[in-house]
Amino acid sequence: MDVTPQPQLLPEPRRLGTLARLAPEPMKVVLNWGRRYSLWVFNFGLACCAIEFIAASMARHDFIRLGVIPFAPGPRQADLMIVSGTVTDKMAPAVKRLYEQMPEPKYVISFGACSNCGGPYWDSYSVTKGVDQIIPVDVYVPGCPPRPEALLQGILKLQEKIARESLGERYADGSGAAGGNGAGPHPSPAALTSALVTPPPAPAADAGPADASAPGEGGR
Amino acid sequence: MSPVPGHGLAKGLAVTLRTMTRRSVTHQYPDAAPHLPPRSRGVIALFEENCTVCMLCARECPDWCIYIDSHKETVPPAAPGGRERSRNVLDRFAIDFALCMYCGICIEVCPFDALFWSPEFEYAETDIRELTHERDKLREWMWTVPTPPALDPGAEEPKEIAAARKTAEKLAAAQETAAQQTETPEGGA
Repeated sequence: MDVTPQPQLLPEPRRLGTLARLAPEPMKVVLNWGRRYSLWVFNFGLACCAIEFIAASMARHDFIRLGVIPFAPGPRQADLMIVSGTVTDKMAPAVKRLYEQMPEPKYVISFGACSNCGGPYWDSYSVTKGVDQIIPVDVYVPGCPPRPEALLQGILKLQEKIARESLGERYADGSGAAGGNGAGPHPSPAALTSALVTPPPAPAADAGPADASAPGEGGR
Repeated sequence: MSPVPGHGLAKGLAVTLRTMTRRSVTHQYPDAAPHLPPRSRGVIALFEENCTVCMLCARECPDWCIYIDSHKETVPPAAPGGRERSRNVLDRFAIDFALCMYCGICIEVCPFDALFWSPEFEYAETDIRELTHERDKLREWMWTVPTPPALDPGAEEPKEIAAARKTAEKLAAAQETAAQQTETPEGGA
């Protein structure tokens, strides 16, 4: 990242309009309902997972049933970006730029191991270790590649999230859940590492022969 | 090309009519669960009674997505005068499904059949940290593992079943001879 020049950020509106802020609660529910069932999807297919995405969009799995409309003319007309495949460092600026071009509110599904966290290429010199390093991700779909049904389940999960969400909270602070400078709030390294699990001290220490015979006889 | 005007339109409408009479091929996924064969690569389940913490799966994993912690316990001798045994006890078994590439090498390599494929696929998460599933979740998936397909009619008996049957037969034969031996002296006396 040191080598690449800092990308020029597009100006993004980061606040709610008066109408959206003052809308009564039932109106917000209706708005959420509308957003939930008309997700124009922008397919960011980068590798083999895109094939499964295409399978999910075609007749057999047909995610238009769920209100997900494929083939948005461009990112400016899309609500949902599905990043399916390996994001390379070369491609990352394009992913970020196209994400920034999408109108708010926008959602991202990370589809497959590569875009979740790098997947098999987690040790590679040229692969971004997860698309969530550059743009905030709403739903992670695991799999390598995931089944088309897994994508449908991820979409259902996203729709539940949209139904629950409040745009006021989403844009509450400058960064918000949508991420001010691209990446969302990164967890601290301490939250991502875990120490060795401490073994239960009781059986070895105090009551040695009394109960240790029982699991010993069981013989795992 | 066609001499009759409207020929192409009629052809297209014929295709439409033909398709209209057929049933649609769409799978109604959220309402109807898909039929998945056994050993579908959905998720990896752990049967921890079979796990001896040999760590082969963690070492063979190309992604290094399996986390295992264990400690040693000393087991007193089973018979008096025997030697103390030490054995490994599993403390943590976690698989990072965000990283897993579903190659199945861990399942192939497990010498004691502790890992299984389960066809479950519905575990998308909104936080990537929740995709690392610990042993209790892997155990829950164990109960979703379907029974393996039946062997061919003329197939050889599985080794473990053959061994178990042989042991049972030997035991039964030994009991029978013992019973006969106890009967004959009684009858003689």
